[in-house]
Amino acid sequence: MSDVLLGLKNLKVIFPAQQGIVRAVEGIDIDIKKGECVALVGESGCGKSVTSLAIMRLLNTPPALVDVESINLDGDEITNYSENKMQDVRGKQISMIFQDAMTALNPVMTVGKQIDEVFIKHQKLNKKEARIETIKALRLVGIPEPESRAKAFPHQLSGGLRQRVLIAMAFACMPKLIIADEPTTALDVTIQAQVLEVLRSMQRSHNVSLLLITHDLSVVAHTADTVYVMYSGKIVEKAKVEDLFKTPHHPYTEGLLGSIPRLSDTTKHFVQIPDSVPHPMFKPTGCYFHPRCKYATDDCKKKMPPLERLDNGREIRCYHPINFTGGETNE
Amino acid sequence: MKKIKKIFKKILNSFIGIGLFIAKIWKHKKGKIGLVLVGLLAFVAIFAPLIAPYDPYDVTQRAAKGLAPSWEHLLGTTINTGQDIFSMLIYGTRVSLLVGLITGIAIAFLGAILGIIAGYVGGVADNLIMRIVDIMLVIPTLPLTIVITNLFGKSYFIIVFIFVIFGWTGLARVIRSLVLVLKNSNYVKASELAGGSRWHIMTKHILPGVSHLLIMNTALTCAGIMVAEAGLSFLGLGDPTAISWGKMLAEAQSGGALLFGHWWWIIAPGIGIFIAVFAFMRIGLVMEEILNPRMKASSGIYKLFKTLNNTYIQEVFDGMNEEVLTTKEGEIS
Amino acid sequence: MSKNPIIKLENLYVDFPVKGGLPFQKKKHISAVSDVSLEIYPGETFGIVGESGCGKSTLANAMIGMVKPTGGKVIFKDNDLFSLSRTDFKKTRSDMQMIFQDPFSSLNPRFSVYQLISEPMFIRGGFTKKEMEQRVLELLKLVGLDEKDLHRYPSDFSGGQKQRIGIARAISLNPDLLICDEPVSALDVSVHAQILNLLIDLQDHLKLTYVFISHNLAVVKNVCDRILVMYLGKVMEFGSTKAIYKNPLHPYTNALISAILDLDIKREKTILKGDIPSPIDPPKGCRFWQRCPYAMEGCKDIPAPLIEVEDNHFVACHKLSGFSEDEIARGLDKRISDGQ
Repeated sequence: MSDVLLGLKNLKVIFPAQQGIVRAVEGIDIDIKKGECVALVGESGCGKSVTSLAIMRLLNTPPALVDVESINLDGDEITNYSENKMQDVRGKQISMIFQDAMTALNPVMTVGKQIDEVFIKHQKLNKKEARIETIKALRLVGIPEPESRAKAFPHQLSGGLRQRVLIAMAFACMPKLIIADEPTTALDVTIQAQVLEVLRSMQRSHNVSLLLITHDLSVVAHTADTVYVMYSGKIVEKAKVEDLFKTPHHPYTEGLLGSIPRLSDTTKHFVQIPDSVPHPMFKPTGCYFHPRCKYATDDCKKKMPPLERLDNGREIRCYHPINFTGGETNE
Repeated sequence: MKKIKKIFKKILNSFIGIGLFIAKIWKHKKGKIGLVLVGLLAFVAIFAPLIAPYDPYDVTQRAAKGLAPSWEHLLGTTINTGQDIFSMLIYGTRVSLLVGLITGIAIAFLGAILGIIAGYVGGVADNLIMRIVDIMLVIPTLPLTIVITNLFGKSYFIIVFIFVIFGWTGLARVIRSLVLVLKNSNYVKASELAGGSRWHIMTKHILPGVSHLLIMNTALTCAGIMVAEAGLSFLGLGDPTAISWGKMLAEAQSGGALLFGHWWWIIAPGIGIFIAVFAFMRIGLVMEEILNPRMKASSGIYKLFKTLNNTYIQEVFDGMNEEVLTTKEGEIS
Repeated sequence: MSKNPIIKLENLYVDFPVKGGLPFQKKKHISAVSDVSLEIYPGETFGIVGESGCGKSTLANAMIGMVKPTGGKVIFKDNDLFSLSRTDFKKTRSDMQMIFQDPFSSLNPRFSVYQLISEPMFIRGGFTKKEMEQRVLELLKLVGLDEKDLHRYPSDFSGGQKQRIGIARAISLNPDLLICDEPVSALDVSVHAQILNLLIDLQDHLKLTYVFISHNLAVVKNVCDRILVMYLGKVMEFGSTKAIYKNPLHPYTNALISAILDLDIKREKTILKGDIPSPIDPPKGCRFWQRCPYAMEGCKDIPAPLIEVEDNHFVACHKLSGFSEDEIARGLDKRISDGQ
């Protein structure tokens, strides 16, 4: 498949600790096509952030242990690249947008200088040329008066502006893939809407692939093309965004969708999923979701259901998928 | 009657609290040494008359001057007075420990109380206390000590007094900063909302919240005070009749130990000071590690990784493959 | 409603001085809350909605007496809260309780669950140990926790469970008013529904009155009877939930609703330009004019009055209240063209 930009095969990550082993990621596969926006959705502790760090090969061996079959970026096997080669890849071919802009930016450098650095390192420009590109990048993400804003320090900017600076930095070298880890979670609702617009339009206009990591399904609805749902280290469902929202197959997805309050709700009560996510060290037997699942049967307690790849491209890991007429999709 | 019972219970509880704390330090591997040494020093100080072979204060027990170490005099005798150095070392423990502990605990009390009041009550009290701290920090303690001991006579009582009067300031500042942070935590706000009096919040929430910091600081302060006391005694500002390690060093120097090569006279008090300071600092540092769990974790991880069983790890990874699906619950290596 | 309001705010102002700055510079102020008046009736859930910097937290803090207002009154159960004596103030205030946003910092990690939940009772006094234990067990059951949890410590519990402990503590003395400050924002999505349902059930069961603070309009719609929309310390719109969602009048309310990234309703999206400005020295006129797509010249300097547009639905916006003839003559009703 020559239109696959990132092929991640069988990623496993564990964190050994005194009391046991934290199984953060338990064998997942992710494919991202060129120009596609893929969302990786899950709650805290499901392993999604660890996955993004593993793709960028940023997990250090103590404390993590990584086992992956292949990380393929546009034909190149970066699985075993040396640190030097990876540094070339990071920023230029893959870049990342972190959740907390305040900690991702250097507090003692102006934002302009920080973006300049990206250009200087990866495109070998000199300071003057880099500054011109920086102003262009800031303007592109919708920051007003970019010439003067570039001279500001991160703490002088608001949260929304800081996040846009991070986006500008990520797009600076026109990478092939951008990984955005909860880019708008810490922002106010109206600002979130703005930032997502920027992200989406830039992604489409520059044909950059985007891996969006979030717990917020509503963000996914408006930005993503394909969605992977992750629960406790395993992928439990994969589908195109419209399919996922209209006909979710996995009970967890159904639960998540149900618990989002909607403007069209008429009943007072919210649909709830009982209990909470399992501790990553002490996971249940069988399917990890069965203690909270209203459709669970004995099979679910005994053995982890295998991930089934359907003909229509969807994936589902469940013995009793819902909205399912067996073998293929419907509606 | 009921009130007495209540007070008794409170004291008992605080002892239990301290006991639990000591247990925590004991569990920490580096803490054991500190506690053992402090225990040893305390034992020596308390039972000094039973342990020391001679009574260095007793003039009739003097021996020949300037003897080298032998079986009768394990560390020989002093050149100027013929006192048994080993016995002096043991009696010296009393002064060092007493001065260190009393000063440390008094500073802990004053510093904690004033720090908590300044931080929590704020306003005028805070301003007043902090201005006093600022003034105290500026005054040079050593010249002042010299002046006061010359005016009122040289005694350890005065030295402890001066240490405490000037020493509480640093602790108060540190405690105050922590109190300012704790003051803003939601559980304090919840307590205030429920009508909690200032006393209730300061004793039930703030004080326990600073206890770790307080104890750690006290241990380190004791260590520092012991060195300071040795220094002052060395300068001759301590009680001339008491035996202290600092004074032993001073006498060693003036008595010509260096001149005659009586190294044992100098090393003995030096080792004494070293052991005491080491013990307290050890406890203080262990407490800091307990306070700051992150520090402990980072060193532990490397050790853990060295002892990992690779076949077990491979098993864990293989267990995640789709075909072999018997995921086990909570494996402990 | 003809009942007596439990709490009434009359023209409340809360300003904070900004520290620093040169000695001869004019002192700057943060106008956190500006001229807010409202009444909350027993048994209802009153929502306060807005983004960061809008003053909702300050407003809540002023209501419970944590912050002293620089102007106006807080009248709780017919008592002017800030003119009471210290002891009366403490006593009156303990009939109000709060649930905090961050479950992790709202419980003292050294207290057991029993100590945490019984603390308000302990402070109030007059309960025997047995009575307190009984009550705590009752409360644990009410919030969905177990008897076994009585002597455990907060670190043993998940975020959602910690929040339940916080709720148990807050209702232990049957408060007249319970303020929920973003009670689910810090929790996992799948737990939101649990906690919100718990709050709804407790209200029905115990006849509580809630003030519900949130930035999430979708949550607020289900939970609240009436809503107040705030921006930079001022009230933009306020009224019954039904009226506001059916017919959102203020451009800011519209933007908030558009921003809900909702999955089914196709609403005309209002995406605002610019950032939330700083609350230091806010604009003289309508505080929203800089980001408002409908801003007119007059909006810059003339504050918009709060007018009743329909039954139980108030808005502060020149678009609806219009300008006087004199002002129109001065051209103040001209739309400000794109940008500021």
